[in-house]
Amino acid sequence: MAYAYLFKYIIIGDTGVGKSCLLLQFTDKRFQPVHDLTIGVEFGARMITIDGKQIKLQIWDTAGQESFRSITRSYYRGAAGALLVYDITRRDTFNHLTTWLEDARQHSNSNMVIMLIGNKSDLESRREVKKEEGEAFAREHGLIFMETSAKTASNVEEAFINTAKEIYEKIQEGVFDINNEANGIKIGPQHAATNSSLAGGQGGQQAGGGCC
Amino acid sequence: MLTRVKSAVASFVGGIMAGSSDGEQPSGAELPHKFPYMRPAFLGLSPDEIECSADHIARPILILKETKRLPWATGYAEVINAGKSALNEDQACCEVIMVKKKPGAPSTPSKTPTAKRRSSLPNGEGLGLRESSESDGLLIHYWALFDGHAGSGAAVMASKLLQQHIIEQLQDVLDILRNLGSLPPTVLGEEPNHPGTPGTNRTLTRAASLRGAAGAPGSPSTPPPRFFTEKKIQHESLVIGALENAFKDMDSQIEREKAVYNISGGCTALVVAFILGKLYVANAGDSRAIIIRNGEIIPVSAEFTPESERQRLQFLGFMQPHLLGGEFTHLEFPRRVQRKEVGKKMLYRDFTMTGWAYKTIEDEDLRFPLIYGEGKKARVMATIGVTRGLGDHDLKVHDSNIYIKPFLSCCPEVRVYNLTQYEHGADDVLVMGTDGLWDVLSNEEVSESVTSFLANCDPDDLHRYTMAAQDLVMRARGVLRDRGWRITNDRLGSGDDISVYIIPLMNSLWTTPYFTSLHRA
Ligand SMILES: Nc1nc2c(ncn2[C@@H]2O[C@H](COP(=O)(O)OP(=O)(O)OP(=O)(O)O)[C@@H](O)[C@H]2O)c(=O)[nH]1
Ligand SMILES: [Mg+2]
Repeated sequence: MAYAYLFKYIIIGDTGVGKSCLLLQFTDKRFQPVHDLTIGVEFGARMITIDGKQIKLQIWDTAGQESFRSITRSYYRGAAGALLVYDITRRDTFNHLTTWLEDARQHSNSNMVIMLIGNKSDLESRREVKKEEGEAFAREHGLIFMETSAKTASNVEEAFINTAKEIYEKIQEGVFDINNEANGIKIGPQHAATNSSLAGGQGGQQAGGGCC
Repeated sequence: MLTRVKSAVASFVGGIMAGSSDGEQPSGAELPHKFPYMRPAFLGLSPDEIECSADHIARPILILKETKRLPWATGYAEVINAGKSALNEDQACCEVIMVKKKPGAPSTPSKTPTAKRRSSLPNGEGLGLRESSESDGLLIHYWALFDGHAGSGAAVMASKLLQQHIIEQLQDVLDILRNLGSLPPTVLGEEPNHPGTPGTNRTLTRAASLRGAAGAPGSPSTPPPRFFTEKKIQHESLVIGALENAFKDMDSQIEREKAVYNISGGCTALVVAFILGKLYVANAGDSRAIIIRNGEIIPVSAEFTPESERQRLQFLGFMQPHLLGGEFTHLEFPRRVQRKEVGKKMLYRDFTMTGWAYKTIEDEDLRFPLIYGEGKKARVMATIGVTRGLGDHDLKVHDSNIYIKPFLSCCPEVRVYNLTQYEHGADDVLVMGTDGLWDVLSNEEVSESVTSFLANCDPDDLHRYTMAAQDLVMRARGVLRDRGWRITNDRLGSGDDISVYIIPLMNSLWTTPYFTSLHRA
């Protein structure tokens, strides 16, 4: 299918926080109640529209379990966006965010857009992490933030789409070098003809700054 | 594999055939594809997933999905190359097949095989196989790896069709294979030999046998007496022959269908087939299989490369010099001979030698050596680094009309491992891998890492072999650092496509009802 851009995402966070469920809800509009431990990497894809443009999201769902950490780390490279997920009913998954963030910052390109997600918002009665805590963490580290429920689908669309909007804005600002595939962005076939004008013309204030 | 053809061509061009137009191979690029590019069927990937997998930057390691199983809980993992070719040129196939007799007359071969094929069984051993009266069939477990070069066409086609040829070959000898009680008859349709009564009159005096050869008189009503000492052919040899002929048929089919389809390149093939209690390992190329039993390494294949097959290739060049096109010499020298060295004595070796000797350099010796380069860089006619496999019918020396195919063999070496002869524990496995694995990890390193990985797994976790395969591919791929892909001790990781099966050999996995019922039958 023709698209203007392709953005590569990665979903990270502790095991059991609902990464695979978020992906499934976003791509298939389904919820999977039993936990199938992800033991490698799984892929999903969906088309969205931003600013009247077709954008294809290519999403890599990684394994959260500690023993797969070195494999998961090796997948950060070449992602334009990351969804960093914790479980609002498990404080330890929130406490581990700093480690995840350090890992992500170290192994990805510096312009990667990170969306912090507090998942399982449907389980209000079992909440251990206040929404304000999530907001504060995001503010402190320069992340976007949302609470979602992969079960009720609340905010799931928004989480994926808002991340894409942020990436799209960065492209408009010329922050991303869209010709470098290591940034997790590909220009679609229909766009390729105008690509040189986009790359060269728009990045006024930060031309070439996307290169790390 | 692509670079192994390309870079050689480049250096060759710089060597003796510099200054040329682009020597395009007649590729049939305008013809339709026989099969589109794909990943192994058992991975069950969507087009989107296939697109994701072809990421040369992050190089995702693909494993079996949660919902898929391979027979015996076999583990599988693969990763794409680091950018040398757009697509992953390795291919794989794994199936459990019930070979059944062809319909109609039992001994007239028909073209369509009627084997029941099941790919990626829902839960290891196929449900439903039981119903299909296995009493007259032969159950085969089949694992195959193909490593393509100069295009993915041949590898994809072989991954789809090689098992069909194996089925057809086995169908021809099905009744004989199922009748383990008596040796395969020498001539079909005659009284079978009974091993219980080893022919007392088989071993005759030379004189008697010569008389027999001259045409022994015999009454037409009674079976003629045997005058010759006769080789006893075991059932195992019939399976080996079937595998060998299947490879040959596959290669012929590629050649035939190149006329109507675009089937690019060539491929190596490594097959493991479990038939009647034995593992048959058929290898044509530079993939490798080893068995790890109780920590001990048992190699069950050998690689076919310009170095390992030097003498065969040199002999062919010697016997049929026209195949060398006047451009190559079948002799090997430690380095290229220079014109100013003509008349001097230089080290060389011929097809009759494994050691070296001196010969006086003649003009002819200035030709490019048929085998040149060392180790992974060794090439046949400066073009290809692997000497057995399927396809490559169009492959020519760059910018010339010299075909490489006559020097390549599609014949596999088949080795047999009798599974029933040994006790196998949960950590005893057969590891199959393409050269992407073995180029960077030794047998010992592979054995060590698989063994220690499995030891740290829950023995009841059926994903353990999948996770071990993923771990092994990760070790061979390494991680991307500033100076490329690196593995342990800062050694260079493999930038090639890497594909790996880890097949558990634990007896309880393959002594399934189907297996045992077959033996009763
Ligand atoms: N109530 C509720 N349960 C959820 C939600 N999201 C996920 N779950 C449940 O949480 C468990 C774990 O979900 P997964 O998506 O498999 O977790 P994961 O993050 O992919 O875990 P790993 O693959 O091990 O890294 C499953 O049992 C889900 O059903 C949610 O929004 N609400
Ligand atoms: Mg998961």
